[in-house]
Amino acid sequence: MITRTRSSLMHLLAACIASLAAGAPGQGAAAAAVPTPPGPELLRGRCGGCHLQSGGDHFARISDIRKTPEGWLMTIVRMQHLHQAQLSAEERDTLVRYLADTQGLAPAETAPARYALERRPNVKDLQLPGDLQTMCARCHSAARIALQRRDAQDWLKHVHWHLAQWPTIEYQQNARDRLWWQKATTEVPQELGKLFPLHSQAWADWSQRPHADLSGTWLVHGHEPGQGDYWGVATIARTGDDEYRQTYALDTAAGEHVSGESKVILYTGFEWRGSGTRAAREVHEVYALSEDGGSLSGRWFEAAHPEIGADWQAVRAGPAQLLAVNPSALRTGAAARVIVLGSGLDGAVSFGPGTHSRVLERTAHSLSVEVRVDAAATPGYRQVSVGRLSAGQLFAVYDKVTRLEVSPAFAIARLGGGRIDPVAAQFDALAYTDLAGADGVTAVRLGYLPVRWSVQPYDQQARAAQDEKFAGRIDGTGRFLPAAAGPNPQRKFSGNNAGDLAVEASLEDMAPAVTGKAHLIVTVQRWNNPPIY
Amino acid sequence: MAAIASIRMPGMVLLALVATGAALAAPRRDYLITGAKPDRLFVIDAAARTIKSEWSIPGANDLVATIVPSPDGRIAYVLVNKMESISGIDLDTGREVFRADLSTPGERVKCMFGFDVTPDGRELIVYELPVKLGLSEYQVEDTRFAVFDTAAGLDARPVRQFPAPRRIHTVLARKDGKSFFAFGFDLYEFDRVSGRQLGERGIRNWTYAQHSIPDLLAFWPASEPTGVFSTPVYSSVPAADGKGEVPKTALLTLDLTSGKLDYHDFEDTAALIFSTVLSPDRSEAFGVYSQLSRIDTRSNALAKRVDLDHTYYSVAVSTDGKEVYAAGAMCDVTVFDPVTLGRRANLKLPGCPDQSLASLRVVRR
Ligand code: HEC
Ligand code: HEC
Repeated sequence: MITRTRSSLMHLLAACIASLAAGAPGQGAAAAAVPTPPGPELLRGRCGGCHLQSGGDHFARISDIRKTPEGWLMTIVRMQHLHQAQLSAEERDTLVRYLADTQGLAPAETAPARYALERRPNVKDLQLPGDLQTMCARCHSAARIALQRRDAQDWLKHVHWHLAQWPTIEYQQNARDRLWWQKATTEVPQELGKLFPLHSQAWADWSQRPHADLSGTWLVHGHEPGQGDYWGVATIARTGDDEYRQTYALDTAAGEHVSGESKVILYTGFEWRGSGTRAAREVHEVYALSEDGGSLSGRWFEAAHPEIGADWQAVRAGPAQLLAVNPSALRTGAAARVIVLGSGLDGAVSFGPGTHSRVLERTAHSLSVEVRVDAAATPGYRQVSVGRLSAGQLFAVYDKVTRLEVSPAFAIARLGGGRIDPVAAQFDALAYTDLAGADGVTAVRLGYLPVRWSVQPYDQQARAAQDEKFAGRIDGTGRFLPAAAGPNPQRKFSGNNAGDLAVEASLEDMAPAVTGKAHLIVTVQRWNNPPIY
Repeated sequence: MAAIASIRMPGMVLLALVATGAALAAPRRDYLITGAKPDRLFVIDAAARTIKSEWSIPGANDLVATIVPSPDGRIAYVLVNKMESISGIDLDTGREVFRADLSTPGERVKCMFGFDVTPDGRELIVYELPVKLGLSEYQVEDTRFAVFDTAAGLDARPVRQFPAPRRIHTVLARKDGKSFFAFGFDLYEFDRVSGRQLGERGIRNWTYAQHSIPDLLAFWPASEPTGVFSTPVYSSVPAADGKGEVPKTALLTLDLTSGKLDYHDFEDTAALIFSTVLSPDRSEAFGVYSQLSRIDTRSNALAKRVDLDHTYYSVAVSTDGKEVYAAGAMCDVTVFDPVTLGRRANLKLPGCPDQSLASLRVVRR
């Protein structure tokens, strides 16, 4: 019973999450003929019938909570689904924006749980203190809770709704072994009210700040697991209040040129939600503007496969700075063309002792440099300098890779089947050279080198069941593609294609080969895919 | 078939003797009562291996859960409709003769599977989880027992209500009709009329030497034919070498006549068991889930265990103890030999409807 209500709702949610950016109202020909009423009017008209207005602009419950844009969206979709609240898609968009702007979370308040908004796969959820974790974060993430703010009084109301909606909660495992309801109505709201209170100085300050204008040129760099680093320039143009259009042109470590564009809404003065295309891929962007308005960081991901995506870092072009160097390491005796990304890249270029550099090309925001490393150069980080700019950990010299760190170290992939797509797991191998010195071992980060990927059974049991044969396969980029779900007559007890695997990356141009390992569980389908899991 | 008939005959002869006086009455026999989604109620002639009737429960709303037969075996009270209604179905005609819709406008009331009928058949005692539906908030209210008059017809309202502890899962009327038991964190006993709590015995607070707090959750209230309710209980004891814990399964019994509560480990937990039933002489218990187990209640040991073709939730035993029945979870009722635990017969419910949590009860008529 629980799963049914939940999954159909989540289906609806997944379908409309794109609207956080794609349906930016008031843009182009798609603008509605009848203007959508503003936030306060919608609150009165669409919500006020149940959420009674008092003392001027206070709406019962609604005014007692702060949430992220995704949090507001999930709640309003629930109001439509459970309580038949009537509102059009445009009205919902307007209301989400209004509520996120006036009752949002300050940047610092979202920081510990941004991974959930960014839909990062295989991230360890934050741990709520004490018994809260078992009381409240066993059905969904702790992030879902940490991304809301209420006082104890409204947390209590929220707890009431939980049990009212799912009367089985107090009978379930990890609940029936304790006085669940007693705790849930006493300690839990008290603690939540202290951890995540409605009123905070951070929000009082942030909500007073005028929203920054993001228009201009931005320098971008990032890393896409399995694909390597990328860098380039983005142009952001303002199209309305807190609305933007972004275009960008990127180069990748693999030598490709990628261009893309997105439509963006800036919620709460810092929550960038974009959607658009990157080459031929339909992607969503979840970035946060830094408090000083100078940088954007977050993750973009494929609309249909949030598990596939990459980090994105952007800074305003202008202030002189060194941002990134690619490749970020060269082996002794090697020579390569190295790209330096930044602003104000004037003057002499040096990659430090034991290297020789020659500038091949200068553009407004990048240098292309031929770098040669002496065969006898000492391994370690190098100070890279361009004119008066310099950076200490952007580039290193190595004679051997001593360690490959496979990330994520533990991952879950899900079988596909029916209308449910498989959920892939993308692995990446970061190379290090560990240098022994007088004061212990220094780990020098070398970056992502091409490796060979393979999977093996994780243990004896997995070997006996031949999990490596049934659960799926890993491709040359480190992406594990799970098999289809459902009983498999070829397996013992007609089991499904679940598996317990060890993923191995191996760097074979080192002798002996350097390897790194991760643990992969291939498990059953997930029936819902809410914006905040 | 011949084999089955020969097993059946002696029992029927015996019963015919018992039923002296009712010269024209047909010999009494066991009927199995079970249900399935979306609204099915089945009356199965156990010995004949046939479905005698298949009834539709009005307004079942895709849930047919706990089934409580009236003491005369003529009416089945069934928890239906999102756990918000109890429907009394006349097993001979299929007519709905009783209906208690627990929810009212503004208050949503669910019964988490715990209800029973009093031994005189006159009252239903129902464990209720009420929620007040406010305009912009839901408020969970204190749990309570509600008592209904079974003669109230199709619009039954509670005749009495009194406070109940939270997390009750099983309600069982005491055979003298004066009180009833409720299993939750502990075992409680309440006066049927006043609702006054008469006793409380430890489950969570049990005093079983060395044992951890036990885990007990039972949604199968059958106590026929013995009048003793039984259920598995899981706990653990410290390992002999002092390292770690050893999981234990105990059989818990509650005698609904004497009120005696008893529990004894019978194995280091090796199988999950959902429900159990005692043999007529109480010397054995049968338990089901993915396996069928027979437990010797004299030596408190597992006597035999066999793998089943699928998971079953609910187990029952014939009044003469010569057959064991399993149902629930899927869409069939399987008959087993109580000694060998071998399969004797299998009855598929027409259309393969999902039995899920529906009880399996035995009435003798
Ligand atoms: C038909 C009545 C009705 C309408 C219309 C309605 N709501 Fe609600 N709302 C409820 C009820 C009932 C609850 C408490 C139960 C729940 O949380 O689902 C609630 C709860 C809430 C909560 C608290 C949820 C939480 O997380 O604890 C918020 C916030 C909310 N509504 C926002 C809105 C907004 C915004 C609108 C207008 C778009 C709206 N509601 C329209 C009935 C309504
Ligand atoms: C039995 C599983 C379960 C447990 C335990 C549980 N939740 Fe939830 N919770 C859910 C589900 C399912 C939803 C999704 C509701 C929806 O959007 O329809 C949810 C939603 C939420 C939301 C977002 C809803 C909104 O509208 O803002 C918050 C916040 C939350 N839960 C907090 C808690 C807290 C605090 C606790 C501990 C008291 C808790 N949860 C325990 C199942 C659970």
